Amino acid sequence: MDEPRWRQDFPVRWDEDHYVTRRELAKFLTLGSGLLAGANAMIALIGLTRTPPAAPVQRIAGVNDVAPGSSLLFRYPTSEDPCILVRDASGRFDAFSQVCTHLSCAVVHAPGEDVLACPCHKGAFSARDGLPTAGPPTRRLPRVVIEQRGDDLVATRLEV
Amino acid sequence: METRQQGSTLFSAVLVLIATLVVIQLWLMATAVDALLGRQSDVLLPTMAGSAVLFLLAAGLLWYVVSFDHRLRQWASRDR
Repeated sequence: MDEPRWRQDFPVRWDEDHYVTRRELAKFLTLGSGLLAGANAMIALIGLTRTPPAAPVQRIAGVNDVAPGSSLLFRYPTSEDPCILVRDASGRFDAFSQVCTHLSCAVVHAPGEDVLACPCHKGAFSARDGLPTAGPPTRRLPRVVIEQRGDDLVATRLEV
Repeated sequence: METRQQGSTLFSAVLVLIATLVVIQLWLMATAVDALLGRQSDVLLPTMAGSAVLFLLAAGLLWYVVSFDHRLRQWASRDR
């Protein structure tokens, strides 16, 4: 049977049209897959060729500048890297990066507590070892290794 | 014999498979970024290899379905 006149004037077949659309979508998705694989390779390249930042030996504060149970803010290894020095009730010193490993808010020390709290999303880290104890963070805070030299506290390197 | 109906079903299935592979690749990239920021370089190579394998799978599926479609069109033109 011959096709009606309107079919000859408008030769659009929806099933074929959808068929082509799916093929285009498959090609687009495969292209996206290739781009994602390339991006993943770039990330690996950056991570494997990156050199650790230079960590200068730097005086942070005097031993008596920080009372037991309190904290002090400083910058290390560059002036762009905020850090926090915590002295617990027993007099022990620990220092960490102040940048939360969740979404980079600044963590703060609650005086008298061994907790570094992130106010943005209620994250918490131990002020002893920097490990996450509550909230969304899953990675520990980078530790600033400090030494006591006479009456001075000196940062020697950053442990990520 | 392959039919147009089979081709259509195959295309849908492959499309869903490729989309699933892309979603897994997105997850792998999020993991790689997290490892990069956390300086865990031991995670980077496996995620890169996994993503490359998934891309090859997606490309292979696309090649298979396009060649199937090509075969189908050849048969259709021969029958006409």
